[in-house]
Amino acid sequence: MNDSQHSIKRGSVLIAGGGIGGMQAALDLADSGFKVHMIQRESSIGGTMAMLDKTFPTGDCSMCMISPKMVEVGRHPNIELHTLADVEAVSGEPGDFTVTVRQQPRFVIPERCTGCGACEKKCPKLVVNTFEQGLSKRKAIYTILPQAVPHTRVIDKEHCIYLTKGKCKACSKFCETDAINYEDTEKVYDLQVGAIILSPGLDRYNPNIRGELGFGRWPNVVTSIQFERILSASGPFMGEVKRPSDERHPRKVAWIQCVGSRDPRNANPWCSSVCCMYATKQAVIAKEHDGSIEPTIFYMEMRAFGKDFDKYVDRAKQQYGVVYRRAMVSDIKEEAGTGNLLLRYAAEDGALVDEVFDLVVLSIGFQPHQDALAFAGTFGIDTNVHRFAKTDTLAPVETSRAGVYVTGTFQGPKDIPETVAQGSAVAGRAMALLGEARGTEIEAPQLPPETDITGQEARVGVFVCHCGINIAQTVDVKQVAEDTRPLPDVVYSGDLMYACAPDGQERIKEVIREKGLNRVIVASCTPRTHAPLFQDTIRDAGLNKYLFELADIREQCSWCHMGQKEVATHKASEIVKMSVAKARKLDPVETDSVSVVPGAMVIGGGIAGMTAALALGDQGFDVHIVEKEDRLGGLAAGVHRTLDGADVQAFLAAKMDQVAAHDKIRVHTGAEVDGTGGYVGNFNTTLTNGDAFDHGVIVVATGGVEYEPREYAYGESDRVITQRDLERQIAGGLDPAAQHFLMIQCVGSREEPHNYCSRICCQDAIKNAIAVKEASPAAQVTILYRDIRTYGLREDYYQRARELGVLFVRFEADRKPEVTAAGGRLQVEAYDYVLNREVRFNPDWVVLSTGLRPHPLTEKIGRQYKLTVNPDGYFLEAHVKLRPVDFPSEGIYVAGLAHAPKNLDETLSQSLAAAGRAGVVLSHDRLSVSGIISKHNRELCMSCLACVRLCPFGSPFIDEDGKVSHNEVICTGCGICAGICPAKAFQVNSFRDDQILAMIDAATEME
Amino acid sequence: MTGLPQTAIEETAAPLEAPREAPQGWEPRILAIACHYCAFAAADLAGVMRLSYSPNVMIIRLPCTGKLDHSYVLRAFERGVDGLFVAG
Repeated sequence: MNDSQHSIKRGSVLIAGGGIGGMQAALDLADSGFKVHMIQRESSIGGTMAMLDKTFPTGDCSMCMISPKMVEVGRHPNIELHTLADVEAVSGEPGDFTVTVRQQPRFVIPERCTGCGACEKKCPKLVVNTFEQGLSKRKAIYTILPQAVPHTRVIDKEHCIYLTKGKCKACSKFCETDAINYEDTEKVYDLQVGAIILSPGLDRYNPNIRGELGFGRWPNVVTSIQFERILSASGPFMGEVKRPSDERHPRKVAWIQCVGSRDPRNANPWCSSVCCMYATKQAVIAKEHDGSIEPTIFYMEMRAFGKDFDKYVDRAKQQYGVVYRRAMVSDIKEEAGTGNLLLRYAAEDGALVDEVFDLVVLSIGFQPHQDALAFAGTFGIDTNVHRFAKTDTLAPVETSRAGVYVTGTFQGPKDIPETVAQGSAVAGRAMALLGEARGTEIEAPQLPPETDITGQEARVGVFVCHCGINIAQTVDVKQVAEDTRPLPDVVYSGDLMYACAPDGQERIKEVIREKGLNRVIVASCTPRTHAPLFQDTIRDAGLNKYLFELADIREQCSWCHMGQKEVATHKASEIVKMSVAKARKLDPVETDSVSVVPGAMVIGGGIAGMTAALALGDQGFDVHIVEKEDRLGGLAAGVHRTLDGADVQAFLAAKMDQVAAHDKIRVHTGAEVDGTGGYVGNFNTTLTNGDAFDHGVIVVATGGVEYEPREYAYGESDRVITQRDLERQIAGGLDPAAQHFLMIQCVGSREEPHNYCSRICCQDAIKNAIAVKEASPAAQVTILYRDIRTYGLREDYYQRARELGVLFVRFEADRKPEVTAAGGRLQVEAYDYVLNREVRFNPDWVVLSTGLRPHPLTEKIGRQYKLTVNPDGYFLEAHVKLRPVDFPSEGIYVAGLAHAPKNLDETLSQSLAAAGRAGVVLSHDRLSVSGIISKHNRELCMSCLACVRLCPFGSPFIDEDGKVSHNEVICTGCGICAGICPAKAFQVNSFRDDQILAMIDAATEME
Repeated sequence: MTGLPQTAIEETAAPLEAPREAPQGWEPRILAIACHYCAFAAADLAGVMRLSYSPNVMIIRLPCTGKLDHSYVLRAFERGVDGLFVAG
């Protein structure tokens, strides 16, 4: 479905917002041949995720994950960053928009700035650091974070002494590259793009409004985002858990949940979706930093609804001793003189308790930016009542304006992986809209032919960089160049002021030609950010780019040995010596490429499979849907309405019609995969019905099944039914009259051996409860629950159910309700924790909210494609945060319930995301194979299969002759095979054993 | 038991050298083998944050510490390093 028949299609996309969702969309689009303009209001991309210390439920370091992505976005040839910029106006139509951008002055010239930071050091003005949430100070010339992209400093014109008072100019005086420009002015310009993606991210609730919690009054009451910075190793306390008032280590720390969320009176009515889990994570990480901390979390409901979240909370309780107290804190006061805080709350028995804590963390919720309405107005899109972008449950990333898509928290509160999935989803939507314009606005670089160096002796050239004073003030750069000159095979060794600056790079190319260099070393900063730049430089001079080595003498030498010139210089020389030892042994690497079959196989014909298939078909790729059953539809066939009332059956019927009518989609029903051979770009599959086809990618959308209950007298009475049964009856025109419906939650969920939340059952119960009460106000509905998990904007419906008089009674896992169906009369006994006594109900119906299970096919598919599953039997994605729809094996993607229980809108987002990710691969005529891969020598190989067993990507395989072969296309170059191989038949390019041993020898040479 | 002679090692192995006191002011020579994606990045971050540590640590970058070969460890100790730090 193209959004428009408009004739002009531009091959470029504008992305408003440079957080993780926008970055994912940008990379997917740029990698598949679209030009991307990324508009970011701040001076660096990164967004909220860059502020976080760790992420749940794995405890992975947030910065370690996002920083490589930021670098990738920053140096992608198809992505243009417009920082300090806002969009002012949008006109035009899908395929051809004109966007007016207003960019604030940076006052620093990016082409000249090397990011050395000398200016920042000399700037005399201290300003409250908003990135560090006011916990520290920064300068008036600064980057918002140390890992900023772009790394160019920015002058804060509100605080700069020169710009406000007309004197100072310290930054300009100390800038060695003359990069400061006080005359810089605001710029207004137009961009022409084909599609627009909105990813402006979120704002946080201001807890000052809740005066009783004492934020802003008591220094040791901090917000959760402040606590992230406190935990962060690059934060104000360098990762030591200290409290602001006296920098003392707190012992008792309290978290207060739902500050600014689920509170229509003082704050926002919605649930922010992430606070339960981030508080749990903060408590666990704080405890890991300092074992003496005693964490307590005060909460209303523990909403651990995501994949593996309940297990994480259990671990927090059992292994880390985190205390979860179901209580609302009514008041916080500071104890005079100690800085400690007195919390007043009602205990479970109703008694008022006062407890003293050293530090209190307020788990503040999400809200749209203050200017969300104006932002929406600029782009001409509608918002919902809560000022989030208005979307439809059945079209979760489409705004009200065609060609404008939305991802992330502006669409509703959500976690990182859902934001990333939506990032890929919107990229996929933009690809479908602009398909034929792909590649029209990007330029492929023209390169000279590569010099053949076969048979040549190594001729190593070494360039030692001053990096202004960054290296040179600590390391005697000329001395390092001199120390290096006598080393074997070194034919040139000299210094450069800025190796990365245009003149530095020209000089490198000049010396390569003059001296006939065939190996090049630059001794400067980290290879993580700068090696690709210098590799391009030597490639420009005709050398294979793998003949380059970067010696890190800034991050790993001058910056950590300041004031120790002699030892730092010696260490720098040693680092360069090691690099020379390796560089002498470097060989050119020929990067291969393989052709791509522009087609996909989608396993599973439910909503997820059909959505992914249609999205790929709309992008112009051939799609084969393989469905085991005789008809498409999957689990959604039993669902009639969504929580917000959308008609699922009509939607499903429309999808099935679209699939049937789509000329790119072929459906194979009543069939399973018999076998698949090949690799990314070139799979070939045979089905059990004999059909066979070639395809480039695989989308696994095998779905799930509903749990069939064995408890609560199910099957003993026809009045004990499931939510699905009730839904069918409601759709069939049930008149609930004055009957009593009693619903029981968590049937078959959140208990061993299925200790996970099925995520859909709370909304199912509330949806049906509202339907019953609306059909007959005289009907009675009671919901027995453990935690009501109506996360995000679903909370509105929980409120609505309460307003309609639905009765909620909580139970605990170890004191479950008992249902008896003797004599045709239903009786339910439960313990009410509010009344603190047993209660008895005699409902007309008992409705069980049954959970979800993985599809029985999951295991077989997992074996077929070497895909792993989590302990609950759901497929495990490549990375729980940043690669939510990828498998570790290239070219295979996951969507829908096969990945974990989720609601329909989330399944749709994820399916569009899988199609977006798959589209990136399929959009290439050829896939280039990375140069840093493992090379297999069959002469040495004994086919012991150690590599076959250990490789996480399945690249070594047993070939037709019964011996091991290696598929280099899917190799990532991790070298696990090389490490384990007893015959040393595997060697990783540029990390060969002889190269590493040469480095070790150089490092241990006796002077 | 494995069926191997139980006393073989004690009989054939050379007597262990007694540990010696480290001389005054002696600094160990440490070789670090770091994963490109995490530990090497962490070493970079230490620099970005201007954290100071002893200069006698040299870092060798690998694409993944899964690539560590026993020969690297043996060669490093054979060549006299005092400690090997594998991080990833």
